Amino acid sequence: MLLRILSAEFLKIRRKWLWLLVAAGPLGVVALQAVNFGVRYDYLVAGKPAEVVWNSLIGDVALLALPAMLMGLAIVASMTAGIEHQMNAWKLTLALPVSKRQVFAGKFLLTVLLLLVACALLVPLTAGLGSMLGFSGPVPWGHLAAAAFYPFLAAMPFVALQTWLSVTMANQALPLTIGIVGMIVTLFAGIRLPDWVPYKWPQLAGGSDDPLYAVAAGLGLGIVVFAVGLTEFVRKDAR
Amino acid sequence: MSMETILETQDLTKQLGGKKVVDGVNLTIGRGDIYGFLGPNGAGKTTTIRMLLGLAKPTAGTIRLFGKDIRKERIAILRKVGSLVEYPSYYGHLTAVENLEAVRRLLDVPKARIAEVLSIVRLTKDANRAVKGFSLGMKQRLGIATALLGNPELLVLDEPTNGLDPAGIQEIRELIKSLPRTNGVTILISSHLLSEVEQMANRVGIIAKGRLIYEDSIGRLREQAQGRIRLGVSDPEAAWRMLLAHGYPVGWENGVLTATQTDNRVVAGIVARLVQSNFAVYRVEEESASLESIFLTMTGTEGSL
Repeated sequence: MLLRILSAEFLKIRRKWLWLLVAAGPLGVVALQAVNFGVRYDYLVAGKPAEVVWNSLIGDVALLALPAMLMGLAIVASMTAGIEHQMNAWKLTLALPVSKRQVFAGKFLLTVLLLLVACALLVPLTAGLGSMLGFSGPVPWGHLAAAAFYPFLAAMPFVALQTWLSVTMANQALPLTIGIVGMIVTLFAGIRLPDWVPYKWPQLAGGSDDPLYAVAAGLGLGIVVFAVGLTEFVRKDAR
Repeated sequence: MSMETILETQDLTKQLGGKKVVDGVNLTIGRGDIYGFLGPNGAGKTTTIRMLLGLAKPTAGTIRLFGKDIRKERIAILRKVGSLVEYPSYYGHLTAVENLEAVRRLLDVPKARIAEVLSIVRLTKDANRAVKGFSLGMKQRLGIATALLGNPELLVLDEPTNGLDPAGIQEIRELIKSLPRTNGVTILISSHLLSEVEQMANRVGIIAKGRLIYEDSIGRLREQAQGRIRLGVSDPEAAWRMLLAHGYPVGWENGVLTATQTDNRVVAGIVARLVQSNFAVYRVEEESASLESIFLTMTGTEGSL
């Protein structure tokens, strides 16, 4: 059933420019790094060993990808929920023989899948940029994939939170504000926060020595927030 | 009741913000009924319907559809129900076909059904246009098509003509009347206008201020609306017995004789018989009430409409 819900969800986002947004995020990040590395090529690349230049490219891509991803998740969650809010379509879906749990799970999974696609795009785009810049040596795929996916997995509590807020509130101003404030907190205060604060996890997952702690914590808390949101959605009367 | 009951509520109550918007409603709908659910705006029709569809939870009372409790078997029940609740729900950026396809994927009915329902609501020509460009009437028709998609046994239409111009109202009414009812589809249609459902409904329930104040066949309601002849006579009880003995269908209330058959020959016969039997006939008057005025009196909204 969940698969059928997802297939309906993917149909509903047609002509909503969501796919464009999903592609624009990683494209924009990599394009900015193309400018960065193009302009400062002599300083950043020339004469350095392959491992060092790949690491600095991946690090710089991850640095820009973090705010793009945090902002993107709030926007994507808001847009996928907004499809239902706009034309009072919640009651249409919820009067069908589908479980409310799965309707909520469908929205969450749609957002997760779209963002996963965005993260996945980072990998070939970054590798391509490296090759274009003439980096020698093999592409460090493992490192690259970790840099692309770990911060997103660690940000799972926020994916769940934004899905919950956007689905529950007809007016998307508040969910979007909370999402943007969250991004700013992570970006500017993240480094000063203690490790247990979830806002720090996406950064930890990107840079610390042991990123898997942050990833595991993110997935764990993500499931908890998802469960709380789900329970509230099921309990509440439909609009 | 010999007929199979497919929808039954008991003491259905919904409290919102301390106010009982639906208050102890007992609805009974039999298979094959076209049930007109009537009441002025704000009487609790939509809230009742939302509870019937599991969109809102009752504060108290029970709902059974097809013999099952909606709280326990919501999904099994909804498999047999198609609905259109209040203003139309649709995805404006999608075409009519895509809107139906999004619902079809959840219902798991064959793709061919989309073309069928589009043709029933006469939207085949506009099937591939984005719905945001549709008129309200077309959107309502799409809503009805969506409701029909899963071959429902019970079709719930909440104010399907709300907001439409007279031509649109006529169109929707014709459409509902023309719905294929060969397999005994039951229809629950709500409206704030009696005139809108009286031509199609066989049973009506009237709700006002959250309470169901009337539920019976449309025929009974019509009987109340029919003109009656009232006869003022001397010794009405004796006169009533005498007339009944002679086979005249008369009633007796508050010291007046009443006859629901109002054609001239019957009235003349009654009067002749009364005179022959030495009853004094003081007055013979016609009392008439339209269905609408009875509805307005019942719902206490006579002044506001």
